[in-house]
Amino acid sequence: MTTITKGYDEELTVLTVCGVGMGSSLILRMTAEDAFRDLGLKARVTATDTSSARSMPADMIIGQAMHTEELQGVAPAVISVDSFLDREELKHKVLTAMHELGWLQHDTPVS
Amino acid sequence: MMPATAARTSVRAADWRAAIRSALQPLVAVGAVEDRYVEAAVAAVEMQGPYIVLAPGVALAHARPEDGAVVLGLSVAVLAEPVSFGHPTNDPVDVVLAFGSPDRDQHVGLLAALARQLRAGLLDDLRTATGDDDACRLLDEVMHDVHEPRSAG
Repeated sequence: MTTITKGYDEELTVLTVCGVGMGSSLILRMTAEDAFRDLGLKARVTATDTSSARSMPADMIIGQAMHTEELQGVAPAVISVDSFLDREELKHKVLTAMHELGWLQHDTPVS
Repeated sequence: MMPATAARTSVRAADWRAAIRSALQPLVAVGAVEDRYVEAAVAAVEMQGPYIVLAPGVALAHARPEDGAVVLGLSVAVLAEPVSFGHPTNDPVDVVLAFGSPDRDQHVGLLAALARQLRAGLLDDLRTATGDDDACRLLDEVMHDVHEPRSAG
């Protein structure tokens, strides 16, 4: 039996969120794209505002806690990061979330 | 009209609202954004919280295109004394970057270049800039970097 796994066989749908959806969230999108590439995970990352994020299907939402707290449950993984420039913090939190969801394959490098 | 850059260093700001206004006023002065854009950028933080503090010490102030952005512009206020934005982890802030974009796409390349330059040490370069002209030259480099191929680093 073959199972399709997110991030490996098909790309993860990822939203980066902020208040307006065209400043901070774009910076975070670029950091996230670098983080997913480092991790060898396939992802399509879109920057948006928090209210639009509610109606957009996603596997993962990333933003500051002040916004992600109100988005809990909107996507399987909702990740809070303090710095939108810190790729290492993001990689660690993405791996932790993937692990908790059972989406992580064993051969993924854990940095 | 060409994209605009503007920088102020050793800025004295009483609070985060004054810091945002200091960062955006030079873009008003050159006609890149209208007066109302500045207050819209302040209102965005009042409405949505201090999410514009995107990393320790640095804020990225902006409003929406329809709030009075005329041409693409990038500016900065480097503060003499840091101010608090009320951010849970990234206060205090001493570098307030700001931008205006007349549409929802034009600034995407600029922010990509900004993200690259921030990773390459732009914040510290701005903090140690010798004056307004020196800081503005750093922002000009960001503008010039917009069309460069993206580095893997």
